[in-house]
Amino acid sequence: MSTVIRAEGLVVTYGRALRALGGVSLAVAPGEFVAVLGPSGAGKTTLFRCLTGLARPEAGSVWLHGRDLCRLDGRALRDARRDIALIFQQFNLIRRLSALQNVLAGRLAAVPTWRVLARHFPATDRALALSCLDRVGMRERADARADRLSGGQQQRVAIARALAQEAAVILADEPVASLDPESAAAVLEGLRRVAASGVAVVASLHQVHLATAYADRIVALRDGRVLQDAPVAEIDARAIEQIYARNGDAA
Amino acid sequence: MTQTPAARLRFAAIVLLVAAFYAASWQLAQVSPAKLATGLPKMASWARKAWPPATDELPVLLRRAAETVAMAAIGTTAAALLALPVCALAARNVTPSLAVYYPVRWFLNALRGIDSFVFALLFVAAVGLGPFAGVLGVALHTWGSTAKLWAEAIENVPPGPLEAAAATGASRVKVLGFALLPDVAPSMVSVVLFWWEFNVRASTVLGVVGAGGIGQELKNSMDLLDFPRLLTIILIILVMVTVIDQVSQSLRRRLE
Repeated sequence: MSTVIRAEGLVVTYGRALRALGGVSLAVAPGEFVAVLGPSGAGKTTLFRCLTGLARPEAGSVWLHGRDLCRLDGRALRDARRDIALIFQQFNLIRRLSALQNVLAGRLAAVPTWRVLARHFPATDRALALSCLDRVGMRERADARADRLSGGQQQRVAIARALAQEAAVILADEPVASLDPESAAAVLEGLRRVAASGVAVVASLHQVHLATAYADRIVALRDGRVLQDAPVAEIDARAIEQIYARNGDAA
Repeated sequence: MTQTPAARLRFAAIVLLVAAFYAASWQLAQVSPAKLATGLPKMASWARKAWPPATDELPVLLRRAAETVAMAAIGTTAAALLALPVCALAARNVTPSLAVYYPVRWFLNALRGIDSFVFALLFVAAVGLGPFAGVLGVALHTWGSTAKLWAEAIENVPPGPLEAAAATGASRVKVLGFALLPDVAPSMVSVVLFWWEFNVRASTVLGVVGAGGIGQELKNSMDLLDFPRLLTIILIILVMVTVIDQVSQSLRRRLE
């Protein structure tokens, strides 16, 4: 199986005793939608920070296009990050800009500086941004100010921004944790379609039933270790429910 | 209410300290009700002599008033242009390094600490009498004040959208220009309008040190005890300041 991003044996320790990740490996193929599950403190956020090069593991590597993100810095890291698009729990749209301009933010690295400062994006980038909005069903709200949109709509615009970046990987850290069930379903359906178009999507989720409904594969973390990593059809949902129930107990 | 003796003693000590502070201040400020009693009738007689206000020199005085507004406008604009590159260095959340942040902050505090009046005094000596010295004085003081207020506006911006823009692999200049500027632009414009309004008021006195504008005529008339002319000048200042305040405030309200 071809992989686009591959983490190998990631170890992250905070302070002297707290082991956030104890040797986590994860490989994601193009077009795959992987859901990362686990209770708070299981290491989901630390894993995501490693995958974007924001956190440096003590051991292990993150391979993307033949380069190890954990060994890059400065401009090289910035260039590598162009190929990883992020989606945040709090959407992080620029509130005073329109939905369309927020999607154009995904083109920042690809457009010359003067065009960015003049807010004069090339026609091809504008067309791309509009088609990205179309793909998440937000094209008719292209001119609405970001802070006038509902949470679910804002997250769909954020997905369009990630699409406009034309990255090989989309990482979504708790993308639906701030949304009502209906909006969450629309956002996850959007991510599923994005994955189907050939992008590798990794999303951390809190609810097992959402992961089994939308993802192709589930990676369950507990205490910084991979407990299960299997296609949805083979996953033992009851065992995963139990890691939430037993969280905090000494094993 | 129960009070321990210690608490009562402390209260008495505070009352004594405050009283001593005001007694000392009264002495240092040379407050003299007797002088006020003899001075007030003098002012009342000036007020009687001032009516009707002199109108023969109105064109000259209006030109001087326009000079004051122009000094404030040019000085404030120059300050804003100078503040633009500096404010990002003086904002904790976007400064490239604390080694830049602290010196820039100190520099801005120094500019802010010295009043435009004091700067104008220095520039009159350096570049000669006239409104240009006033422009320079206004510009330097306003530079420090504007950059500091802008830096504070930048520090209040939520970090998430900046993080998201940086995560696309965009350079720092692009992130600041695209994601930060739209968020802070309204409050930045509001700050500049406030300083323009403030500087029109401040500039009316700059003429006293020879830095041009209506203040120079004010001082001349006072020196010559020409009260009708003085009244005209005061009325012009009142109208000018009120109009500018209203314009600036209505513009700022529209930015909300």
